Amino acid sequence: MKIEVRFPAGPQAEIDDVIAGVTAEPEGGRLVPGDPRVVDFLTALARRLLAPSIARRHPELGSLGFFLRKTEIRKTLEHLRREGDDALVFPRGLVFHVPPANVDTIFVYSWALSALAGNPNIIRISSRAAGAALTILETLNECLADAHPAIGQTQRMITYGHQDEVTAALSAACDLRVIWGGDRTVRDIRRHPLAPHARDVTFPDRSSYAAISLAGWQATDAEGRKRAAEGLVNDVYWFDQAACSSPMAIYLVGDAGQAPAVKEELLSLVAQGARAQGFAVDAAMAVEKRVSTYGLAAEGRATALDLADNTVTGVTLTSPDAVPHDWLGAGVFPFTTVGSLAEIAPLITRKDQTFSHFGFTRDELIAFAHQLGGRGVDRIVPFGQALNFAGVWDGYDLIREFGRLVTVTA
Amino acid sequence: MSEEVFTLKQPEKDERLLEQLSALTRHHRERSPEYDRILLASGQAQDSYASVYDLPWLPVRMFKNHHLKSIPDDEIVKVLTSSGTTGDVSRIYLDRDAAAAQTRMLSRTLQTVLGPKRLPMLIVDSRGVVADRRSFSARGAGMLGLMNFGRDHVWVLDENGEPDVEVLKQFLAKHGDQPFLIFGFTFMVWLYLYEAARDAGLDLSNGILIHSGGWKKLIDRAVDNAEFRRRLAEDIGLTKIHNFYGMVEQIGTIYLEGPDGGGLYCPDFADVIIRDPETWEVAPIGTPGLIEVTSTLPTSYPGHVLLTEDLGVVHGVDDGAWPGKRFSVLGRLPRAEARGCSDTFTGGDR
Repeated sequence: MKIEVRFPAGPQAEIDDVIAGVTAEPEGGRLVPGDPRVVDFLTALARRLLAPSIARRHPELGSLGFFLRKTEIRKTLEHLRREGDDALVFPRGLVFHVPPANVDTIFVYSWALSALAGNPNIIRISSRAAGAALTILETLNECLADAHPAIGQTQRMITYGHQDEVTAALSAACDLRVIWGGDRTVRDIRRHPLAPHARDVTFPDRSSYAAISLAGWQATDAEGRKRAAEGLVNDVYWFDQAACSSPMAIYLVGDAGQAPAVKEELLSLVAQGARAQGFAVDAAMAVEKRVSTYGLAAEGRATALDLADNTVTGVTLTSPDAVPHDWLGAGVFPFTTVGSLAEIAPLITRKDQTFSHFGFTRDELIAFAHQLGGRGVDRIVPFGQALNFAGVWDGYDLIREFGRLVTVTA
Repeated sequence: MSEEVFTLKQPEKDERLLEQLSALTRHHRERSPEYDRILLASGQAQDSYASVYDLPWLPVRMFKNHHLKSIPDDEIVKVLTSSGTTGDVSRIYLDRDAAAAQTRMLSRTLQTVLGPKRLPMLIVDSRGVVADRRSFSARGAGMLGLMNFGRDHVWVLDENGEPDVEVLKQFLAKHGDQPFLIFGFTFMVWLYLYEAARDAGLDLSNGILIHSGGWKKLIDRAVDNAEFRRRLAEDIGLTKIHNFYGMVEQIGTIYLEGPDGGGLYCPDFADVIIRDPETWEVAPIGTPGLIEVTSTLPTSYPGHVLLTEDLGVVHGVDDGAWPGKRFSVLGRLPRAEARGCSDTFTGGDR
């Protein structure tokens, strides 16, 4: 069972040797939570990712670099150590990560948090990895030269093809398996049994929505509205509106009479913002959007389509029940109007993840979270932050998932 | 009444098609609520149009995701399906009239180059492609449709997909001195018929080749339409060559290459419009864009004005072997893909 080793870059290897290698005691002893060898490595990585030459080419690596800065790492570790708790925190053990092929940076977040907790890690990198992912792998390997040997000894990023045996071996050997990539992947990977003590952290298919307070919009000046639209542009167009956190539809909340004007203004600001940021859709995507939005109309779920500009497709939904749950293409803005946030709560399901908002007060949002009562939605974030990765994701407090608690009662 | 279908010059054709396609638009709106809702939502409240270029088009893929028809269920006599590359299946519903019309008009179109009589027919494929009627592919379905235009069918490939030169020789010995029909997919004609016939030194000069399927598989062999025609003429004497373009969503309508090889031509009851996919305006002659196809044949489903996902270019109007537009198909638009989180290509990258 030969696999390709991408980090530390090296020759093909047997999977059993890889597993034995990363779980053996490294130079300088086993890693501990917040191990200085790991912290040094991650901060060196952050410095390189924040270098203008890289951040210009791949802006998403800038966000990653920010997440890995020393001050951020310190906060994460304080959170892990549970100051004031009686429990002691130790690494969970071997962690096997299956990140998504198409969101280039997820594998680093998943891995870095686990490494900070002191775990040996094996990360499966897609053979289709490209763009930013390749830049990260390159940078990781560059950082290795100055890193403590324990990093290279305990951390592996590998690529393999149609080899169920490899997934099976990794599943049997690991203490925690992290499965990104949606329902299909979770089901597929779960065919391979874990050791009895081990468990999964899974990231199934999710859908996300946005909401605008019509009153809040009216109370915002032109500059603020422009910034809101720019935030929405980021949330929607990165990852072609197909990330689990990309909003798929927009609830206009408040007096229905104000909705048409707000919708029109927002779409026009979004079009400007998308152009300014260089987002455009190609012919294939334009056709895709026609197919999907004509489909909504055919099914009686949309009463009006705004198709004037390929980049921004406006859709007026017949009712809040018609809110789409499937990907419609990049730059589709389906609108529905409701009287209050409370009216949205019954429409939310377990599958719903991120709720991006504009124009609401903190109290309104907290009241909304209580109305949801855990039935769905894991994150309520302002426009522009839908895609920002955070240590608490899909309801998991990741760094704590990566640790193991030992209690000592004297 | 003339049986000819390549007769109308463009101005006259535009005028006729505008009237007939506008009427079809009204017809389908009245009978297909889905179609009417699409048009209403996209701001098409009117029921008359100033130009054929203003008629609303549907993306051809709509037929894969939705059951669009303008006839009651009890009048369906045939449901055509095509498997696309992505596994979705188009469903095209025909009533008695639509089914008859498509057969009749396909026949008239092909008679332009085949003449009125059924010719002995050489099929560049293996019998297996139509053997199992429950499971045959789009390739098999296309084959069955075309088989009606020939007689004494002979399959060039054996069960293993290898060209059977003996069978080819026997066919030519029997029929080679009078016109005969050859049908096959473009790349198979090249790989299996042309190469085998050339190596065996066979003479196919009485053949009329009808072929379709695109050039994608021949690109890495540096074979385009011109090279294809040149080599077939020089090496195996085959000069009557007609490529065609068509799709199940406009069954019965094919765009046929003229005798001069100067492009595909549109029969009188159909046309192509090339659109700029940025502005959706009509692209000027010589400028590539997405191919919109119009046809008066779809009366039982709203497929009379469709936007394909094929790229094409109009070379000229009323300036070729036959009247009307002269165009080429340049390739396929790649399918837009979501690059979302739901994608790890598990169990190995597919």
